[in-house]
Amino acid sequence: MAGRPTPGCLSDLEMESEEPTEVEMSSCFLDEETFCQCCQLLLQHSHSLCDGWSWEQVKGSEGYLRKTALGTGRTRCILDQQGNSSDQHQERTFSLSFHNDEDDEDDGAVCCIQEESSSSSVVQYEYHILYSCSYQTPVLYFRASTLEGRSLCLEEVWDSVHPNYRQRLQHRPWDTITQQEHPLLGQSFFVLHPCRTEEFMMPVLKAALEEHRQVNYIVTWLSVVGPVVGLDVPLSYCTQVPEPPHTPSSSPQPPSSSPQPPSSSPQPPSSSPQPPSSSPQPPSSSPQPPSSSPQPPSSSPQPPALGTKPG
Amino acid sequence: MADDKDVLRDVWFGRIPTCFTLYQDEITEREAEPFYLLLPRVSYLTLVTDKVKKHFLKVMKAEDVEEMWFDFEGTPLKWHYPIGLLFDLHASNTALPWSITVHFKNFPERDLLHCPSNSVIEAHFMSSIKEADALKHKSQVINDMQKKDHKQLWMGLQNDKFDQFWAMNRKLMEYPTEEGGFRYIPFRIYLTMSDRPFIQKLFRPISSDGYTHTLGDLLKEVYPMAISSDDESKRYQVVIHGIEPLLETPLQWLSEHLSHPDNFLHISVIPAPSD
Repeated sequence: MAGRPTPGCLSDLEMESEEPTEVEMSSCFLDEETFCQCCQLLLQHSHSLCDGWSWEQVKGSEGYLRKTALGTGRTRCILDQQGNSSDQHQERTFSLSFHNDEDDEDDGAVCCIQEESSSSSVVQYEYHILYSCSYQTPVLYFRASTLEGRSLCLEEVWDSVHPNYRQRLQHRPWDTITQQEHPLLGQSFFVLHPCRTEEFMMPVLKAALEEHRQVNYIVTWLSVVGPVVGLDVPLSYCTQVPEPPHTPSSSPQPPSSSPQPPSSSPQPPSSSPQPPSSSPQPPSSSPQPPSSSPQPPSSSPQPPALGTKPG
Repeated sequence: MADDKDVLRDVWFGRIPTCFTLYQDEITEREAEPFYLLLPRVSYLTLVTDKVKKHFLKVMKAEDVEEMWFDFEGTPLKWHYPIGLLFDLHASNTALPWSITVHFKNFPERDLLHCPSNSVIEAHFMSSIKEADALKHKSQVINDMQKKDHKQLWMGLQNDKFDQFWAMNRKLMEYPTEEGGFRYIPFRIYLTMSDRPFIQKLFRPISSDGYTHTLGDLLKEVYPMAISSDDESKRYQVVIHGIEPLLETPLQWLSEHLSHPDNFLHISVIPAPSD
């Protein structure tokens, strides 16, 4: 996180209400309430697809999204005495050594032993999406194990990253995926670091704002970070999952010539510090239920994700 | 203030006398003697136990040695927690020296993070500092520092150099005078009697109407169980660096003086000893 700070990028998120301006950079951050609302909306769509997301809540604390999935990964297998392995597809790999300037006195073994080969195999993944109050963004935690129940080590996880993302990892391995303690469960997980989230979220949210498109923060964010670690987000998420409803700001409504889905309004994206309690909905279409309950997507099509302005 | 600077030194130079004993089921060529070491409260187990490893490797064969890990009374010790925190949390009211068991096999994959090199410790340490600054200063101070400044923080910790460390760290302890304190206080409250490893929330040191929040205010808001009412006997101790600060202590002051080098206030809530 050694980059230059974006001017004003972490502007105040007080509950004292601020009118979000059109390109307010605070909108790239997410408050916890909105996080939960976005997750609930994602969950509804997930249920319709039966693709496995659930909401977990540790007693007395925050909740998170969870999903398990089978995927492929590159795992090490131990060679037996004769140098044979039961796996069919083998390649010799050089064990990844990320150069550092330290004088490591380590003579202890690292988690992956040198005399191994790496192969493609089926891997059981478990993904958790948590909220980070420190960075005010979502964070993706995951763990991976072979079907025999052996946990993958960090090097295997790096090996399993899609080639498109490898370069970034190779330059700054400790900045992207590392092993960390799950803040609610206390167990070892791998984490995609959240400190650069605003770098990719900001342009997306800004564009959505300018084009008066809905953006569900979690869906957008997940579609960027998920594929790095083998988690795909079907396109229907981007088109079918609305953003949580907001209290209206003073920004003008677009002319709505096509019926808008219930929660649609040209609000800045989800993270503006509006209290999510019920307030009058913008007078766009049919009477609205209280805004704190998530709305099912209406039957009228959402503007396409890469889309055109309504009306 | 002279007194406050002394506090910084006392915190930095805190030590815990520890006895390391090899786990009985480890395979050795001859009997392993226990190894005694004074551990720095503010450092990390894997950073300061090279001597421990060397000592036990003398009586073991290479093939019987995997990644070293530690337990206390059956509980695996998380190397990524500061040593002082581990002691306060697990062994506060036990006799010194602190008795830790050393393992070289059967690494508990689910519970412990791997630590294959010092780079991992450095990454973890810097990551905590960055997170703390995100809370205190919206990351502005840490981002304005150069890479060599970050390195100085780490080297100061690694080499036990108080002055080198604080030459940089003092910048992370500054705040605009008109604010009266940091934006949010970096803290974690650790509980022994919970599945959840710690509680961390957003909490301001100064309220919007200028009221200075205390340690007691924090606990009331975030973990009220820690504070017993006046008429009942004290059930819990609230411990930072081995002491129980008065609940009236301003949180801002605690954050500036009793944080660990990672800039977090690590607070243990443990059962009070029954007399």
